[in-house]
Amino acid sequence: MSAIHPDEITAGRLDGSYKPDRPIAMDPATGDGTLIDDPSKRPPLVLNNRSFHDITEIVCGYCEQRPGGWWLPVFGLVSTLAGVGTLMIIYLLVTGVGVWGLNNQVDWAWDITNFVFWIGIGHAGTLISAILCLLKQKWRTSINRAAEAMTIFAVVCAGTYPGIHVGRVWMIWMVFPIPNANAIWPNFRSPLLWDVFAVSTYFTVSLLFWYMGMIPDFATLRDRAVLRLKNASGPTVVPFIQLRQDTLRAWIYGLLSMGWRFSTRHWQNYEKAYIMLAGVSTPLVLSVHSIVSFDFATSILPGWHTTIFPPYFVAGAIFGGFAMVLGLMIPARELYPNMKDLITLRHLENMAKIILVTGSMVGFAYFMEFFIAWYSGNQYESDVFVYNRMMPPFLAEMFGLSRGAPYWWAYWIMISCNVISPQVFWMKRFRTSPLAIFIVSMAVTVGMWFERFVIIVTSLHRAFLPGEWGMFFPTAVDIITFIGTIGIFITLFLLFLRFLPAFAMSEIKNVLPQANPHPPHADHH
Amino acid sequence: MSMDQCHSTVGHPKTPAAKLRAAAHTQVGVTGRAYWRGLDDAADTPEFRDWLEREFPAGASMISGETRRTFLKLMGASVALAGAATLPGCRRPDHKILPYSRDVPEEIIPGKSLYYATSMPLPGGGAEGLLIETHEGRPTKVEGNPLHPTNRGKSSLWSQAAILELYDPDRLKDPVYAPKGADVARSWQDFTLWSKEHFASFAVSQGQGLVFLAERRSSPTLNVMRSRIEERYPRARWFFYDPAGDDAAIEGSTLAFGKPMREVIKLENANVIVTFDRDLLHNDCGGNALPNARGFGARRRVVTANDTMNRLYAVESAWTVTGSKADHRIRLSPSQVGVFAVALAKELLGQGLTGAGRLADVLGRANAGGAAIDAKFVSAIAKDLLANRGKSFLAAGPAQSPEIHALVHAMNASLGNVGSTVSYRPMSAPDSMLAADAIAGATEELSSGRCQTIVCIGVNPVYDAPGATRFADAFAKAKERIVCSVGNNETVAAATWQVPMAHALESWGDTESADGTLSPIQPMIAPLFAAKSELELLGIFAGDDNVDGYEIVRNVYRSRGPAAAGFDAWWRRALHNGVFIAGEAPAAPAPGTADRVSTSMGNWRAPAAASSDKLEVVFTIGNVGDGRFANCGWLQEIPDPLSKICWDNAAMVSPATAEKLGIQQTDPTDKKQKGRMIRLEANGASINIAAWAVPGIADNTVVVPLGYGRTVCGSVGTGVGFNAYPISGGRNRRIAMNASVQRAGEGPGWYEISTTQSHGSMEGRAIVRESDMPAWAAFAADPFKGMTEEAKKHLQVDSYGQKRDLNFAERLGELAHTPANVNAYDNPQRGTKAAVPLANPHTANAESSETGTPPDFATSPQWGMSIDLNLCTGCNVCTVACQAENNIPVVGKIEVNKGRELHWIRIDRYFTGHDRHDPSPEVAHQPVACVHCENAPCETVCPVNATVHGPEGMNYMVYNRCIGTRYCANNCPYKVRRFNFFDYGVKKFNGDFIGAGAMDTVGAKPANVNLIPPRLRQKLDEITKLQMNPDVTVRSRGVMEKCSYCVQRVNEARIEVKLKNMGGIPDGMFQSACQQACPTDAIVFGDISDTSTAYTDADGTTRTGSRVLNMRQSGRTYSLLGFLNTRPRTTYMLAVRNPNPELVSAARKGAWDHPFEHGHDDGAAHASGGHAALMFDSTKADQDAGYRLSLSVLGAHA
Repeated sequence: MSAIHPDEITAGRLDGSYKPDRPIAMDPATGDGTLIDDPSKRPPLVLNNRSFHDITEIVCGYCEQRPGGWWLPVFGLVSTLAGVGTLMIIYLLVTGVGVWGLNNQVDWAWDITNFVFWIGIGHAGTLISAILCLLKQKWRTSINRAAEAMTIFAVVCAGTYPGIHVGRVWMIWMVFPIPNANAIWPNFRSPLLWDVFAVSTYFTVSLLFWYMGMIPDFATLRDRAVLRLKNASGPTVVPFIQLRQDTLRAWIYGLLSMGWRFSTRHWQNYEKAYIMLAGVSTPLVLSVHSIVSFDFATSILPGWHTTIFPPYFVAGAIFGGFAMVLGLMIPARELYPNMKDLITLRHLENMAKIILVTGSMVGFAYFMEFFIAWYSGNQYESDVFVYNRMMPPFLAEMFGLSRGAPYWWAYWIMISCNVISPQVFWMKRFRTSPLAIFIVSMAVTVGMWFERFVIIVTSLHRAFLPGEWGMFFPTAVDIITFIGTIGIFITLFLLFLRFLPAFAMSEIKNVLPQANPHPPHADHH
Repeated sequence: MSMDQCHSTVGHPKTPAAKLRAAAHTQVGVTGRAYWRGLDDAADTPEFRDWLEREFPAGASMISGETRRTFLKLMGASVALAGAATLPGCRRPDHKILPYSRDVPEEIIPGKSLYYATSMPLPGGGAEGLLIETHEGRPTKVEGNPLHPTNRGKSSLWSQAAILELYDPDRLKDPVYAPKGADVARSWQDFTLWSKEHFASFAVSQGQGLVFLAERRSSPTLNVMRSRIEERYPRARWFFYDPAGDDAAIEGSTLAFGKPMREVIKLENANVIVTFDRDLLHNDCGGNALPNARGFGARRRVVTANDTMNRLYAVESAWTVTGSKADHRIRLSPSQVGVFAVALAKELLGQGLTGAGRLADVLGRANAGGAAIDAKFVSAIAKDLLANRGKSFLAAGPAQSPEIHALVHAMNASLGNVGSTVSYRPMSAPDSMLAADAIAGATEELSSGRCQTIVCIGVNPVYDAPGATRFADAFAKAKERIVCSVGNNETVAAATWQVPMAHALESWGDTESADGTLSPIQPMIAPLFAAKSELELLGIFAGDDNVDGYEIVRNVYRSRGPAAAGFDAWWRRALHNGVFIAGEAPAAPAPGTADRVSTSMGNWRAPAAASSDKLEVVFTIGNVGDGRFANCGWLQEIPDPLSKICWDNAAMVSPATAEKLGIQQTDPTDKKQKGRMIRLEANGASINIAAWAVPGIADNTVVVPLGYGRTVCGSVGTGVGFNAYPISGGRNRRIAMNASVQRAGEGPGWYEISTTQSHGSMEGRAIVRESDMPAWAAFAADPFKGMTEEAKKHLQVDSYGQKRDLNFAERLGELAHTPANVNAYDNPQRGTKAAVPLANPHTANAESSETGTPPDFATSPQWGMSIDLNLCTGCNVCTVACQAENNIPVVGKIEVNKGRELHWIRIDRYFTGHDRHDPSPEVAHQPVACVHCENAPCETVCPVNATVHGPEGMNYMVYNRCIGTRYCANNCPYKVRRFNFFDYGVKKFNGDFIGAGAMDTVGAKPANVNLIPPRLRQKLDEITKLQMNPDVTVRSRGVMEKCSYCVQRVNEARIEVKLKNMGGIPDGMFQSACQQACPTDAIVFGDISDTSTAYTDADGTTRTGSRVLNMRQSGRTYSLLGFLNTRPRTTYMLAVRNPNPELVSAARKGAWDHPFEHGHDDGAAHASGGHAALMFDSTKADQDAGYRLSLSVLGAHA
């Protein structure tokens, strides 16, 4: 895979006839040139006839050059949000969980909503990097790194909530199976404990996968820094001391690259390890959100106690995760130079299709819940879906029903964002329009948050005994903490774009046409 | 706990071992508790003196002639001081403790509670006999005295809360002299010297210009002290005042009998009860509520089909607890309730009631009709009463006029009820002074300038005098205003001498309860703030040099007890039992009642019906009494039984009236539920108050609880709710006619109200199951009456083909529809609903951790509870008792508003009617605490094993293992788990900011101290901590808590049994706190595996098996949400109503033969309400379609 063959672009480059800045004329019907409907033609995965070196320059350039003027203000804003969110968390820890709007009827609300929301966001990364890798979907190469990074950051945000939502944070070590003299173990029957294991495993494997994939790229960044140092070029960190930025780069990327020397043996081991980790990660894609769904499915609460939850949650997580990938990559694509060459409309379209598929799966699950509620003949079950979720009070009044759902709006936001809005992707015009995709993906992100809110809060607030029905209202701390985690997430993502290789250079090079010197029609021998 | 701790029970055995032996022989008390008897001799042993001299060299001389008081004073004070010393310190406090290391007083075993009998006067006369649990000299819990005829082991809200009142940090602490506003703290010496001099001048003037305004309460010793004062100052004026007293009852009995008489009611003898605006079972004036509830309950305990049941008709305007239990409740405005009573009397005479003399003629002329009175009800009730002559009882309440009271007395007399269901005792002069006269007289003395010195004892007239009297202005005219009070109040603030008075638990005294029983008040602890008791204060005013409450009481009883030789033993026995002299047989009223009543009725004219511009206001007594308990957080946080409002009162109206006046509250699903501020005008004055619509209140009637809106009270009670006293007044202070309501012109238009329950409908679910008496009887005769074979098979065999035997209550619920849950696995605990007879019922139950095997539910004991919904009146006493027993913190209005109340046992209140717009719904109360499921959903989901199952079937909550994920609470279908969101237990709760300013619509800004990190918050007052039960953990923040079945009491009993080698814990040896308090014995707790106990039921039947087992085996027992297969250990017993067959709809009657059929869609079937199957089956039809489809797909038997 790693053998690099000279090709005509490289040759053209060598003789000076290659003009990278001049776009190649394309058929407007194919968008940026990737939206080819003809199955006999393979759409390009990288645009503008980029050479191997161009890829290196573009990707390393994101780390080595100053980002656009937008970067610092945006970073300032999101890191401030992250800081305020952290302050809220500290306030929560020193004061008590009561600073949130929880009560005896609704004991979980935004905390677990946000937890499941963020965990779901993390799913796209693993799916793209593991399952699509095993399925040899070459288009994944340009988005997998960012998606994996998102996974890590989303799990960081997600992991925060179970950590801080407990009443006695300082005792949280008791969830771990630590051998002790009292022989008190955690309760292995509790899905919350499975969660601890599932999420920590998921985080560890995702982190390893992500980091391992970056090692060759770290080595490239290291080598480039060392080369510049030899030339004594490049800015210094502080003018007085002759510490150059490249010295830091060489050191830090050098450490991170763990002695990678681009040797064939390294590549061979790397490829093997990569495939193995992909294999290990694949079941995790299914397991984590299945287990998160067990938090609800194993309970006896109508609205939670649902066998459809594991597949429904996994589909929903992939759905929400892809929406978040799109939501971040579409603006990045606009803001970073040359990124459109790497993330093409074809990529966006493919992801839009996944959104359409998973969105419809989620919609099916929503429908099935109603069917099963009716089919079971269980009044408590149907009451949750009709009277806790769906029925607006004004319609209930019209139909002469005894009550409506106070949270009907949350349910209908969920339906319109998750089920209705992706349906526009049946039309090619929308699934190839970055703006439309961005709008839908934002809607889906909102809808997926509401899905978790609907499942958690609307099921809890009116459960079995009407005498103990209540309502949940978020406090300012609830809201600011959630915004804070969004801040943490985007802050980490911006830092990632700024300092880490945002694209898997070696993998992109592998899918360039010049990586395979034989023309496709010449394969039949 | 045990009597062997009480050295004085069996004479004076010489050695401890001998005492133990002696005790073991003689005491087999049901409760096994030690009753206090007198510590004098114990404290007087040479050893004790020795010890004291060593411990307190300086104080040794203080204890000559020691009493238990002195001893307790030292003990209590040192505990208090040890606490107080730590208050100001900012470094690690230096705790001084007084260890019980040697020469311990012999009845005290550290860590073991002792019980002492005492009594407590009730507001407005009457008293309760109590048993106080004390720990190392510190009273912690109030229980009813089983030997006292009023209480018989039960207690009221107010006596439960007395303990918190005792430890109230806001109590008056030192006498304060504040002649011109500047408060100067004085010592008691200053006060005694001053008063000696001051009262000496009155001795010369014979008391000219001296006015005493004292609480109206019955106590022979107080009367003796008062007469001593009267002797010394013959021209001093005495006024006895009870702001919320039932003047109409006093006047009414005077009209009927020629002199004021007090009713002694025996509801257990009554088959038919009719109340007119009277809350017999809960807030009955004169301390009758407990015996009434007991008597009422005795006749509602339906076990077999042959059992009979009484029938209660409530004609009332406001919701009372009594009305909520009524078989027929007739909703009328107060004036029309009176008209109804007259109409009923006429009808009775018309139907042939004799012996009414001239009354028949008078009533014949009376115009008692009108649109509001349903003649059908009048005639049916009259018929019912006549059929039960001598076994019925009619009662008029405080909102009714004296004429109606008199008429009701006459009806009782003519129906032959006197001597059977009711008898009468003459009232003493102080008791029968009308509150209206007392306050008017005192105001007159003051405003005329005749009064130079006024002494207020235990009253708060500045707050609760009618607005029209302008008492506060008059009060300021007196030169010296001596106000003796336990807590701070408005009158204290206006006093020149503020004199702290000892609490009833700190003083000597005596009480007289409604039936005439005389009981001692003995101190449980030395006065915490060195206050003096009422008797001692009276002694000071009488000019005595050396006053000692103990001696005063003892001297009074010297003449009443046996002759000198036997007196000491008698005295000790009386103190031990808590009863001096049992109530005498009441005197029969003088004949001629009917004639006298005919005179008074001659003046009666039917009042005009209320309308929306001429509203009628009923003043009720809320949880805080007449306002005296306003600083008690427990009582403030207890919701009103019907409206579920806590931390406030509101002007309650019917939804129709609210709509007409445009004063509806906001939607219950709003973040902050608000009532409309209204201006309520009556008696020439007006108040601003929040309005609140409650279904079931009479139209055009405004119900306002008294006792709120205190301005000078304490950190808890100041500014809570609205003071309604200014608009009360007139001849009867409990009612105001011709009132009007407008939306408040000035101030905020809305007011935030916190309720503990926002949804009042059962939504067609089988939660509280109810049926009618004939249906129950028919079922017992033939469970499958009129059923097809197919329908029968459906009940006997479930959808999966499993055989089952559903009892009456179970067939009214989901189990009749759904298949029984089938477990894929055997239950390792193999519990069965019906206890298995055991070879050795007391086999020790192996702990699972020791043997590695799961606990075996077939061994003994297995704890369980049964709650009889037929007996529960919704009175909330269980909640307060539980709060006191289990150190449950008060969380405050803001936290309740957020839905974070911490009560371990709550009472759900459901309105049932044919729809949610039904103006006259019936009410069902259901106490819900942790039901201790055998298959507990909470246990499987806790990640850290913090909630686990015990071998005796209890669901344990391990606080120090809990990390607070709250998953258990989410998975609890009963929603009984309570999370400690903040440090409610150990830091100052937001009760400090409860009142004005707590909620943003009231004051300037919201202030919730709980939002301040705990370390920066004030700690709980040390004095408050003294109340805590040392047997129960005080939970920290972040911990889930819930009902533990009073596991500390179980363990105490277990230890006791082990020490005495008694084998198993006998049934009834101990009670859970809620069971102990429940006035109707609706709650029964015990060992459900105990099949060997034999006991005699209230109806005289001997039953085998524990009480709780018998309850569980009743056909009325069902498991709440039992279809979930949670197998709860607390089971409920279906409520049975006993409607008059003449007054129910044909559909409801039809349901008596087929109680389990459903699907009647006609409104008529629902109109009468109450019928269980109609309540929750209306929505079943469409769901069953899906269910049938699913069964056929599964191939199961449908």
